[in-house]
Amino acid sequence: MALDNKTDFKYIGTRPERPDGLDKVTGKARYGADAYAPGMLHGAVVRSPHAHARIVRIDASKALALDGVKAVVTRADFAQDLEGEDWNLLENTIAGEKVLYDGHAVAGVAATSALIAKDAAKLVDVEYEVLPHVTDVDAAMAEGAPVLRDGAADHSVPDGLHPNVVRYTEFGRGDVEAGFAAADLVIERSFKTEAVHQGYIEPHACLAQLGTDGKGELWCCTQGHWFVRRMCAALLGLEATQLRVTASEIGGGFGGKTTVFIDPIALALSRKSGKPVKLVMSRSEVLKASGPTASASMDVKMGMTKDGKLTAATGTFRMQGGAFPGAPMDMTTMLAFSCYELDNVHHEGFDVMTNRPKQAAYRAPGAPMGAFAVESVFDELCEGLGLDPIDARLKNAVKEGTRSSFGPKYKAVGLIETLEAAKAHPHYSAPLAENTGRGIASGYWMNWGGETSVSLAIGEDGTVQVGVGTPDIGGSRASMALMAAETIGIPYENVRVNVVDTAALGVNEPTHGSRATYASGLATIEAAREAIGKLCQRAADKWGIDVDAVEWKDGAAHPSGPNAGDFEPLSIAEIAGEMGSTGGPITGHHDASPTGFGGSFGTHIVDVHVDPETGRSTVTRYTVIQDAGKAIHPDYVEGQFQGGAAQGIGWALNEEYIYGEDGRLQNDVFLDYRIPVASDLPMIDTVIVEVPNPGHPYGVRGVGETGITPPLPAIACAVSHATGHRMTRLPMSPPRVLRAIQGKGVS
Amino acid sequence: MIKSRLSCLPENNNPAPLLRRIEAAHFGTDRVRRRDFLMDISFRLNGELVSLTDVDPTRSVLDFLREDKGLTGTKEGCNEGDCGACSALVGDAGGVRAQNTCLMMLGHLDGRALVTVEGLAAPDGTPHPVQQALVDHHGSQCGFCTPGFAVTLAAGHLSSDHDIKTLLGGNLCRCTGYAPILRAAEAAATETSPPHLKDALEAPRPDASKEAGPACPGAVDALATLYADHPEATLIGGATEVALDVNKALKDLPFPIFLGQVREFDKIEITEDKITFGAGASIETLRRIMAGHHPGFAEMLTRFGSAQVRAAGTIGGNVANGSPIAETPPPLIALGAELHLRHRDARRNLPLEQYYVAYGQQDRRDGEFIEAVSIPRQKDRLRSYKIARRFDQDICTVLGAFNIHVNVGKVLSARIAFGGMAGVVKRAEAVERALIGRPWTRETVAAALDAFETDFAPISDLRAGADYRREVARNLLLRYWHEDQGTPVAVMGVTP
Repeated sequence: MALDNKTDFKYIGTRPERPDGLDKVTGKARYGADAYAPGMLHGAVVRSPHAHARIVRIDASKALALDGVKAVVTRADFAQDLEGEDWNLLENTIAGEKVLYDGHAVAGVAATSALIAKDAAKLVDVEYEVLPHVTDVDAAMAEGAPVLRDGAADHSVPDGLHPNVVRYTEFGRGDVEAGFAAADLVIERSFKTEAVHQGYIEPHACLAQLGTDGKGELWCCTQGHWFVRRMCAALLGLEATQLRVTASEIGGGFGGKTTVFIDPIALALSRKSGKPVKLVMSRSEVLKASGPTASASMDVKMGMTKDGKLTAATGTFRMQGGAFPGAPMDMTTMLAFSCYELDNVHHEGFDVMTNRPKQAAYRAPGAPMGAFAVESVFDELCEGLGLDPIDARLKNAVKEGTRSSFGPKYKAVGLIETLEAAKAHPHYSAPLAENTGRGIASGYWMNWGGETSVSLAIGEDGTVQVGVGTPDIGGSRASMALMAAETIGIPYENVRVNVVDTAALGVNEPTHGSRATYASGLATIEAAREAIGKLCQRAADKWGIDVDAVEWKDGAAHPSGPNAGDFEPLSIAEIAGEMGSTGGPITGHHDASPTGFGGSFGTHIVDVHVDPETGRSTVTRYTVIQDAGKAIHPDYVEGQFQGGAAQGIGWALNEEYIYGEDGRLQNDVFLDYRIPVASDLPMIDTVIVEVPNPGHPYGVRGVGETGITPPLPAIACAVSHATGHRMTRLPMSPPRVLRAIQGKGVS
Repeated sequence: MIKSRLSCLPENNNPAPLLRRIEAAHFGTDRVRRRDFLMDISFRLNGELVSLTDVDPTRSVLDFLREDKGLTGTKEGCNEGDCGACSALVGDAGGVRAQNTCLMMLGHLDGRALVTVEGLAAPDGTPHPVQQALVDHHGSQCGFCTPGFAVTLAAGHLSSDHDIKTLLGGNLCRCTGYAPILRAAEAAATETSPPHLKDALEAPRPDASKEAGPACPGAVDALATLYADHPEATLIGGATEVALDVNKALKDLPFPIFLGQVREFDKIEITEDKITFGAGASIETLRRIMAGHHPGFAEMLTRFGSAQVRAAGTIGGNVANGSPIAETPPPLIALGAELHLRHRDARRNLPLEQYYVAYGQQDRRDGEFIEAVSIPRQKDRLRSYKIARRFDQDICTVLGAFNIHVNVGKVLSARIAFGGMAGVVKRAEAVERALIGRPWTRETVAAALDAFETDFAPISDLRAGADYRREVARNLLLRYWHEDQGTPVAVMGVTP
């Protein structure tokens, strides 16, 4: 799909109210836990208190004897013949022979009230044989570490590695040794980041109904209901199209709601009890047993000449992704050096299993950790060589035609533009207060297209409805409406966009990979164009002229060209009003797996004040500069920029999964797992750079994910400059920073 | 077995005994619990009077709103008072405030008014100014936290509270980075509050002349008798702690006593030589009073929980609990606060530090309760430093309170107390001794630092290691001295 080179936008680029705005401020919007069905039961999940144990016996007799309890399900109530990723998914959803982490589901209970279900869950007697556990990535790779599951490794893993290493990657080009030899300064450092959680405020919730005939319905909060359908169908042995899944409003996801945790259990409970079952996670369950991000242990080495040209780079990235394969080491390795032109580069990645929950995607999964290590070393090189960090980045920045560190050549990208905008921004030259440091970092996310299906229909009054399959997580209904309005030439308010259920469209991938505005937007535009073609045909038929002589502009058909004849334009409402007698409904539809998604680069500037007596860091100023290609609704683009930065600030300074010696999660509540509140953040400033994506009609690039990639290194560099000590471990919690200030190390 | 009535409301004239022991009670659509007490309560909900009979007084208000009333705009994000998504407006004689409904029990509602997000808009559907501003300024992305923000902002709007960041310390948003929400608050500030809210927030007041019942005593004397007779009872003030036992640990409270209706239990008395707080005074009240006497204490209290938690929590509850990381005891001890304890008609006074015997153990006999806390009037020399990872709504790692009086260059008296450094909140007596009588100089301070080793052997936990705590304690004394010298400049790499 080529770029239109349209510049005179009427609706795109404006900032109208979102269609769901009022529903969200008045409490009318319905989320996962807000659905009720007649006669429904409430579910609860029995979870492991151990990090690693063999299940000896499950005795549910006491639970079943409790008044009001209608069903108990265990692994035996799910599909038995699964393999590969489906088996992993089932094993994570409900344990089989072993529990693999604190909070791992063992059984499900359905009862007539939520309280009875919770009481009953406590009565399910599970006998465990406790096994040795490991939760740290480096410890899990070390000789003698407890083995989570023999034979989990795939063919990529070289001989001699610990069985907990389940996938391995190595790639690069050039001669890194020669590159390092040519450098004037070589810096090599080790870095470590802790696992963090997406921290969506809405816990996972669903309402499930499934009959013994294999037909079912599911209401749930998800980023992708077709994914939910496929996964649930596999885990329960159903035919995909027999399960109709409706996505509720979604209270945040950030990648964490692209998979299933409780939905298959609710369906199994419903099938067993014959009643609808509602299942809602507690916050503690969300933190313990949904899909936090990976933690990482990394070594990065980079060489630079005196004039700021990178000569070589190597990176080793060890990622733990919980008790299953899937840590995002592919993304970490691929994107680590993605900002820079490098002739000599080498990457090595390890996917390591530990006794933690199976990681799920989190905003640019895998990228922030690699960026933390690489951008920190880049900063140290600039510091050592006395170079301006933006000038040095401009010397190495990738542009259209540059061969990327991971292989393919870049199409039009906007890194240089964001760096130049950063340099010109008043923030970059503002004076710094005492004990305050400034950090700069860039980051990248390549974005995604994915299976997409959109239907559009003209109403009998000329208004337009659009059905999309990508749940609206940050204002995408407004963006789709703007694109449809622009294409058809009708007011924004005349378009209503609905996120429809799985029975209404072909398969849609989730709202993930920063794809919704790009892919569903592109399909919306194409569906609108198809409908316009039909509208023009109706006008041509009415006028008795050839359709080629009809032009569509400003929401109406106009005769066009020398031989078209002299007719009054026919508006969309006039054509729609007659559609019943002129050929029936007028619709447009588009299916695609578009591949013209354009990656987005960003550059962040941050000032951090460090209190030298307590080690506490305060972000005093923050500026996000990012390439949006074309901002459809600038407020929601800025919202993504700010949200990414805010999550990055939490990750850098405060958030971490803390496992005790016993392998149990110590901070399973929001009071101890600290996400930023209003007073932790400055008013995050934003600059939208627009380098149009040649693969979208209006130039759109996904913007959701890139924003979380630069904050980790930018903040680490700022703290390093404030304290004079290079920060190589996250989070930079007060005790860790104080130790660094006192020269006691950073671990 | 108690035989008097439970209801606190005059409009409930049902002569039948309202207290009944049952094996299992069924109520609402959602609950079965084994409970000794049921209660009849009346309150105003979004403008309508609601009367409930035979309800479990410890049932969470959030649960009641969502499950029984279908008011699903009020969201459950954590069920522990940490996220604010369940905030609702509460109105009573003490004014209007936002509280977390997950930490409120039905027993708290009796005689009060509650407005949920559904009740903010005018009856004709016109959104509240903060709601419209949130739409206009794109203050929601996913929107799940938005009802809580709308309610908290409406509370701030009513009280013309312009310190929005502090007001919002108890509302988590993960999508926006807060900037659009803060802009919305600013934009709404100049709009007038819709008139319907005033009526909706007016509490249906209990008739003080009626005898109030045991679960909800109306007088301190009644409370003293009841608690002495039933020391197994659980006293419920703001429930910021006990609600977690009920909601999360699924504990049954065999005998709840709600303190919210005890007359004069939240009374403040300021005389020439002391300030006395009734144990039921809220943390917010304490903060307001302290602002005029010990502003450093008040400032630290802006970092106690969140606006919602400060409105609910009481000074008595915070002190009585005995938590080694409670926020009010260190400054109170530094100020020389005294507890006024009561058992039936017997009263005794106790310096606060003596109340904390050991971790989990307080100097309080069965059936005895804290009636009041008093602070001697004095020149303000108090500084309280709460060290936590996050500014708002965080548990403290270390909390140091310093009250050092100086006369002609010499330390006349020193009271220093720390939370988070031992199993109880504790005075740094060795440090105090090393200061008293000596010149108030940096040398004296530096020489006193090692005495912290005598006073404390801190532990390591998930918040920080023992070394960090030790280091911070020393640095805080230095900071106090620097601030006192008018050079409140942080000293990089302090080396005493």
